[in-house]
Amino acid sequence: MLVVIVCIPLGFLTEHEHAVFPWHTIPSMDAIFGALGALLLIGAIKIVGSFASREEDFYD
Amino acid sequence: MIEPVPPGFIFILGAILIPLLRLRGNLRQLYLLLIPVVGFIDLLYLEPGTSWIYRFLGYDLVFARVDRLSLAMGYIFVIIGFLAVLYSLHVEEDGQHVAAFLYVGSSLGVVFAGDYFTLFAFWEIMAVTSVFLIWYRREKESLEAGFRYVLMHIFGGCSLLTGIIIHIVSHGFTPVGPLAGGWASDFILMGFGLNTAFIPIHTWLPDSYPQGTVTGSVFLSVYTTKTGVYALARCFSGADMVAYMGGIMAVYGILYALLQNDTRKLLSYHIISQVGYMIAGIGVGSALGVNGGIAHLVNNILYKSLLFMCMGSVIYVTGKRKLTELGGLAGLMPLTCITCIIASLSISGGPGFNGFVSKGMVISSAAAAHRPILELMLILASVGTFLSFTKLCYFTFFAKNEAIEAKEPPFNMQLAMILTAFSCVFIGIYPRVLFNVLPSPVHYHPYTFSHVVGVVQLFLLAGLVFMAAKAALSPHEGIVLDFDYFYRTMCRGIAWLCTAPLNGLRLRTQGFFSREVRGITGLSRNPISMPEIAIKHVHLKMLKLLRESARSPEERMRELEEMRSRLDEIRKMAYDENAYRGPMGLGILLAIIFLFLYGLIYFTAS
Repeated sequence: MLVVIVCIPLGFLTEHEHAVFPWHTIPSMDAIFGALGALLLIGAIKIVGSFASREEDFYD
Repeated sequence: MIEPVPPGFIFILGAILIPLLRLRGNLRQLYLLLIPVVGFIDLLYLEPGTSWIYRFLGYDLVFARVDRLSLAMGYIFVIIGFLAVLYSLHVEEDGQHVAAFLYVGSSLGVVFAGDYFTLFAFWEIMAVTSVFLIWYRREKESLEAGFRYVLMHIFGGCSLLTGIIIHIVSHGFTPVGPLAGGWASDFILMGFGLNTAFIPIHTWLPDSYPQGTVTGSVFLSVYTTKTGVYALARCFSGADMVAYMGGIMAVYGILYALLQNDTRKLLSYHIISQVGYMIAGIGVGSALGVNGGIAHLVNNILYKSLLFMCMGSVIYVTGKRKLTELGGLAGLMPLTCITCIIASLSISGGPGFNGFVSKGMVISSAAAAHRPILELMLILASVGTFLSFTKLCYFTFFAKNEAIEAKEPPFNMQLAMILTAFSCVFIGIYPRVLFNVLPSPVHYHPYTFSHVVGVVQLFLLAGLVFMAAKAALSPHEGIVLDFDYFYRTMCRGIAWLCTAPLNGLRLRTQGFFSREVRGITGLSRNPISMPEIAIKHVHLKMLKLLRESARSPEERMRELEEMRSRLDEIRKMAYDENAYRGPMGLGILLAIIFLFLYGLIYFTAS
């Protein structure tokens, strides 16, 4: 937790070397990507898991 | 000075000699390790350019086309070949080693092939030999998965051959190189795409790789997909379709990996995801992209085979392969645990590990080429990779499980894991050694402050979400349907069509023809008696018809009976050549008569 608290402000000190897209200029954007991406993926696997899950011997 | 040979030949010859030499014990292990060493030395002596050209049926087959790209592939294939052989030294069965060496040899054959026919030939050898690494596990599900694997690869091979033939007919016998659109390149792309596990023709990979032998899966995880990536780099570099397919594969692989319970199935889906990164870079097509793709290939081979080694060790020692049954192994298998964590950090792209360098290159190349969606897809996939490996390590090594019993695997397996883990860290700290073998000069600095901080932030926040939502990510019993659901139901439909309606039709047709044939056979037993049978038959009918015969009915009946028995006799009479052979004089007489007639006509006409 402590590392997280230290690391986020560090993002404000850095600057993307080759900023191409708007999100490259937002400070600590990678932290946002990390959190949003993880939530998005968890949501997606909940949806896929809900209709594609089967028993182990489904094909037998 | 001995001429260097195409490195594939060394492995293939080495494989053939394994059962012939019948070595045992240490000598055998030494011999197995010697083959990749000789292969490596051979690589060092290979001169750039083309050599080992053979003229066959009017085509120049090139067995050694050496340039920076094929050399980079050759080096990593031989190095990981050595490590994988080291990992499988304890295997007693010769057949497994033969299959593995032939598989490695044919992959190297593909890499150094200069023309499409040679490439195709080695491509097919690769498919055929690799399936034995699955079948050698000798379990029902391995056999079945192996058959599905072979069927899909035959489909890919046919597609590739179709493309190659169309290409040669329309463009001539060209060296393996960039392909412009058209049918030929579409078919070839499908053939390559099957081996690189394009969505939705990827299902053979997560289906069969978890079913391989513990050591065989280490080989499998390296060669098939990576030769596909190499072929794409040769022929489809800069194709947008390939780049976006890479992005889709990266995300799709992660999504399914997160849903898996079988450890090696989880890793198999990660292969799809990681190959996605490689072909995204290749599809972008810039120098940075292709370099990144190939660098990621090299790195991925190292950490992915290390992961298969670690999970293989867990299966080897505990016999368990499901996350729901594992846990608590950190204290029992510390070395496996540490190497697995190194591999996990490498594949996630942690700073100081090799994945950090190459993943950064690929993502930067997507941004530099102004492909925002691709970049976001790749970032999403790297979040997922971190989540997935946090999950794998946690539920294998750290989750509570009092009941499990384990110890470290045999020494050769441990040594292979240590060496592979060391190379992951070495390339991570000193990436120059990797950059030096890449196809074009590299101007990329992985260790910038913002890159390091960015990746750490990404990991930390994703890790926080993992801790918070551990329940949602915890493994479950059961399987998750993939595209193979459609293939399997379709194939079951075809099987039903064959067994029920088509087989019925076959039986009826067969019945009809066998009745007819039986009648004809009766006649053909003695064809020369056919006129006699016909005459007797007519005679019999006539007698029956002539009711007002002068003779008494008894006499008539007797005559009829005689006729019938005579007819049956003729019918049953077998053909005897001598019975019908006329004297030789008859033939001569006929010849003279015909000659006379011919002469008569000739002279009168003229």
